[in-house]
Amino acid sequence: MAPMGAQEKLALRYVLTSLFFLALAGLEGMLMETRLVGVLTSYYIPERFYSMMTAHPFVGIYGWAYMAVMGAFYYLVPRVMNRELYSERIARMSYWGMVAGVLIVWATGFFLDFGALYTLYWPLPVLGFPSTSLLPFSIGMFVIFLSILAFFFNMFATIFLRKGGKEAAAGAPQNPGDPGAGYVAKELLITAFSLDGLRARLRRMKGYAARVYSFPVFVVGVFRGCVDTTINALIMAGTALLLFVYSLSALLGFGLSSTLVDPLWYKNVFWWGLDMIADGNVLIFTAATWYFLTPILTGRKLYAENVVRTVILADLVVSFGVWGHHMMADAPQPLLLLIEGQIVTWGELVTMGLTMYAVLMTIWLARPVKFGVALTAVMLSILGYAIGGSGGIIQANYALNRYIHNTMWVIGIHAHIQLLAGLTMTIFAVIYALAPMLTGKALNGKLGYLHLLLWFAGALVMGVVWGVAGVEGMLRRWIYFDGEYTGYMTVGLIGGLMMAAAFSVFLYNFLRTYGAGAILVAFKRAEAPAAP
Amino acid sequence: MYIQEFVEAIYLGLLVLYIVFIATFVRFASRPPKSKGATTAEEPEKPPGRMERKEKAWLSILIALAILGNGLLLSPLVPSARTGFYAPEPVQTVSVHVENYTFYLPDNPVVLPLDEPVEFVITSGDVTYGFGVFRQDGTMVFQLQVLPGYLNRLVWIFDAPGLYTIRSTEYAGPNTPYMVMTDAIQVVGGS
Repeated sequence: MAPMGAQEKLALRYVLTSLFFLALAGLEGMLMETRLVGVLTSYYIPERFYSMMTAHPFVGIYGWAYMAVMGAFYYLVPRVMNRELYSERIARMSYWGMVAGVLIVWATGFFLDFGALYTLYWPLPVLGFPSTSLLPFSIGMFVIFLSILAFFFNMFATIFLRKGGKEAAAGAPQNPGDPGAGYVAKELLITAFSLDGLRARLRRMKGYAARVYSFPVFVVGVFRGCVDTTINALIMAGTALLLFVYSLSALLGFGLSSTLVDPLWYKNVFWWGLDMIADGNVLIFTAATWYFLTPILTGRKLYAENVVRTVILADLVVSFGVWGHHMMADAPQPLLLLIEGQIVTWGELVTMGLTMYAVLMTIWLARPVKFGVALTAVMLSILGYAIGGSGGIIQANYALNRYIHNTMWVIGIHAHIQLLAGLTMTIFAVIYALAPMLTGKALNGKLGYLHLLLWFAGALVMGVVWGVAGVEGMLRRWIYFDGEYTGYMTVGLIGGLMMAAAFSVFLYNFLRTYGAGAILVAFKRAEAPAAP
Repeated sequence: MYIQEFVEAIYLGLLVLYIVFIATFVRFASRPPKSKGATTAEEPEKPPGRMERKEKAWLSILIALAILGNGLLLSPLVPSARTGFYAPEPVQTVSVHVENYTFYLPDNPVVLPLDEPVEFVITSGDVTYGFGVFRQDGTMVFQLQVLPGYLNRLVWIFDAPGLYTIRSTEYAGPNTPYMVMTDAIQVVGGS
């Protein structure tokens, strides 16, 4: 393995840790599935089952997906921008913050049976669970989102400050006029929302190209996606703070009344924030990654490159109005918001449809194309998003939501296919593409194909069979004591086992190519450069 | 065929279509183009934001799909939209209270008329629950969320006589899976 610099090590550390969390989330998922099959019933009393169900998405989304994305972006953004990372110190802090936060949340489930689920619908967390478990949970959650905010600050500063990193740390002056956070925020707002382009259009300034066109498409996706995720992190950190205040007040003996918070308002704000990632950032980061990888892997310029920045902006705008599709079953929700949520959600079909079109056209125009492992992962992720996204569009409307909300359809056909076949394949594409850049050595191709195809097939089997069970009336977040859906869940378990086998193939491939020493290298501090 | 089964059939058809499309795409994209140089040339630089004809055509298709889908799903063609958006005057109102993981119904079973609009008004005394009505074969008829501090209303028209089970369709704590009332609703009428 080639010697690695500090940034390569940092990226590898993030990615390796994310793989550990993927394995942990997978293990939790498999254990829950075995309970639904009717095995381990005496161990999986409802308290234990639901505490695992609470930890599972935190570990899977923040431990796996976020940390993998963070690692990739910490490496790629400075390279693409041809500049230093703003702060390696912040990058290391956000790493440890993420690890600590995810482990605290996991531990409150495992040791304290905290089981309010990731939805945290008010007032369940404060009425249904003791403050002794709510308090550490809220701290863990807060630490996660604080670390995410630190990561985004680092990204924004790297992109918008012309100097940073080592120069800034050494006390060297920034460029005059771009000295700090205020400047970064202003630049971000203007560029992310193309406000300068809008102003030019209003003033009828012919030939003016908005600032966003001076950035590579990938970077535009990163900072526009980061806008969504920053809002998400602020809302989630706010939720954690609220839970912290309630648990602390209860522990101090002056418990606050749960009626001080309106459950409908809470749910609206919570989903508005959560959907910034679930329906905004995920699609934007995915699009950015496809736009980045496809030209590299095919050797052809991105098709419609002049348009895709606008598509990413449309994605960002759409993400501000989609949360209503989570409220379709809430009768007190104003009708106007229900209809708005439904219509805007279809906007995702348009933006994602355009993104897929640009990527597929790039590949098509580059033919004959060799579908290596990374490009195969890109194709499978497109397929995964098409399959999972269609399931999402089907359920995200008032009329059909009435029949399938909170059934296994939602979590199988939509969420898990989207996450395991769409998003995870995108991350694997990045891993397969970046591995040679980070280490100077590529992973074995045949094993790579086996890993991807087995994983994708497993995700599809599990997701689809869950969806079919949902149509038959099986609820998500429900334990059936009389074996009503055991057949479906057994097939789902087989799908899960296929993914476990695929992951084992990937690990074998990694260890065979780089050896266990690569793990140690990633966690060893970079040596200080020799004095001149 | 229930509506969700109809939706499932459409979805599975789409799934097969996507897989066939991607497999075919990969197969043909692996081959060289028939006319040499026709596709390998880079696109000429275009002004920022300017779409070309093919892109516009694809965008139009997507927008048309979105309009068509929304038009269909907001129309009274789907029974749940009919009773939701175009709520008919109910002939009977059923008040249900949920508290401490228990459903409190006015009768057991609650007897309701067939093919007539009936209104459910559901309240919660503590946390958020769900109220789902299920057929004897386990499939769901409808569901809604039950938020504390609100009157959660829904008008529904039952189109088949028989006994129905209710369950909480929202997680409300570890006791949720015990929130089942078998044969809690009886729909009568018709031939």
